[in-house]
Amino acid sequence: MASFTATSISIISLAKPSLVPSARISSPNSVSLSIKGRRFPSITLQPTGRRFQVTCAILKHVLHGGCFAVHLWFMLMKFDITKQETVQKVCDIVKKQLALPEGSSVTGESKFAALGADSLDTVEIVMGLEEEFGISVEEESAQSITTVQEAADMIDKLLESKTD
Amino acid sequence: MSSLLDKARLMMNIHCLGRNLVTASSSLHHVQLPGQKEAHFWYVLPDEIKDTNLLNQYFEILSPSEKENVFRMSGEQLKKRAILARALVRTTLARYQTNCQIDPKALRFKKNSYGKPEVDWQYTEDWSLPQLHFNLSHTSSLIACGVTVGSPIGIDVEEKQRRLKNDVLAFARRYFSPDEIEMLTQIADPELRRLELIKLWTLKEAYVKAVGKGFSNSPFNTFTVRLGHRTKTGIHLRPRVMSKAQEITVEPPDESKNVSGNWQFVLLELDGSHYAAICIEQESTNRGKGSIPVNLKLRKTIPFVEDECILGTEKAVVISGLTTLLECE
Repeated sequence: MASFTATSISIISLAKPSLVPSARISSPNSVSLSIKGRRFPSITLQPTGRRFQVTCAILKHVLHGGCFAVHLWFMLMKFDITKQETVQKVCDIVKKQLALPEGSSVTGESKFAALGADSLDTVEIVMGLEEEFGISVEEESAQSITTVQEAADMIDKLLESKTD
Repeated sequence: MSSLLDKARLMMNIHCLGRNLVTASSSLHHVQLPGQKEAHFWYVLPDEIKDTNLLNQYFEILSPSEKENVFRMSGEQLKKRAILARALVRTTLARYQTNCQIDPKALRFKKNSYGKPEVDWQYTEDWSLPQLHFNLSHTSSLIACGVTVGSPIGIDVEEKQRRLKNDVLAFARRYFSPDEIEMLTQIADPELRRLELIKLWTLKEAYVKAVGKGFSNSPFNTFTVRLGHRTKTGIHLRPRVMSKAQEITVEPPDESKNVSGNWQFVLLELDGSHYAAICIEQESTNRGKGSIPVNLKLRKTIPFVEDECILGTEKAVVISGLTTLLECE
């Protein structure tokens, strides 16, 4: 199985533990793989639309001193960094709207009100988000989002329904 | 009716006998309740409050959840603002006890089903008249609390100098009604147009907050606020400042829809720096008789320290809306 976080990926080998391969994502677009010190060529990922998938070949590696094969299975990995990007963009727009000083901490959990936003700021933020993401937010939602994460979730939902 | 009032007073007196506390609230000047068609508007200027002891006093009267909320605010200025806002609401409402001291700390609040904050009289330790309505609004430089008896109230304050990040007309096209967009488009001077937008914004906010059903129930582009151009002279012979200002009306764009309630607006300019909009519901018995001015008592305050009644000086100018500024007692 593969698990993914923003900065690292680990793959558990199905065979000998000493042959645990390591894969590193050095940038959002490329994956490098090494097994027992042997590096395989990096795979560059081409984004298609807003999601991209990596399919890696099945590798067989025959080790000296033994007639066993290590089958490494790479499975389809869906990288979901798009959600991270959305939150980051929302944070940037919020910082700009509220004219927050450099280095202000704005995260997904940040509540607009706690950052000093009033209702006029909130609707201006929504306008900024609509422009940035090419979406249209319903009136009812426009004044009711209260955190960065809520805004990002709403945006992701709207984007998904656009591509469906 | 009168026996009910008598009962109420008796209850309050009995309750008050036991309270002989010299608390911070004893330095809160007590005031009479607003009458019908009367609104009280209290405001505080955060920049005037620098004494940390005083701020601590304010902090102490907050509830645990309000205190937590203060801590969640990011930065000293926002924390101070949050403290002042809650302290203003609590101290203001506490002044309306006529017979005994009410501890501002004892007030409890709740939200109606749409999220509008109101006093939770059921849990207030002191028995009180349950008809007080209030509404709060703040900018970084002015925090205000409006109070009425028996009528929903909504207020909004905004700095006149407020710059939008977006173009004024683009903003209006996004959020305001067609008639309002039309009206703004016809203003040639960009600065005047921006000021007009701010005025409209405060009036629309005050309206939605007065209606109390949340912004999703009254999206801004579904109703039009007009600052009318008729000039009406006041017909009531109260002394002090008479406003010759125009009447402000709200209407749904679709004329066939019924206006819910009958709302009256006042738009003020405070300290030359802020617009303040007040919206209250007019008595149904007064409909059709022409609008009766809203009686307004304006007070600038530093709770526990001093109150100042504002009467039509440069500190407060009525821009629009039928209103009579009253003397405070």
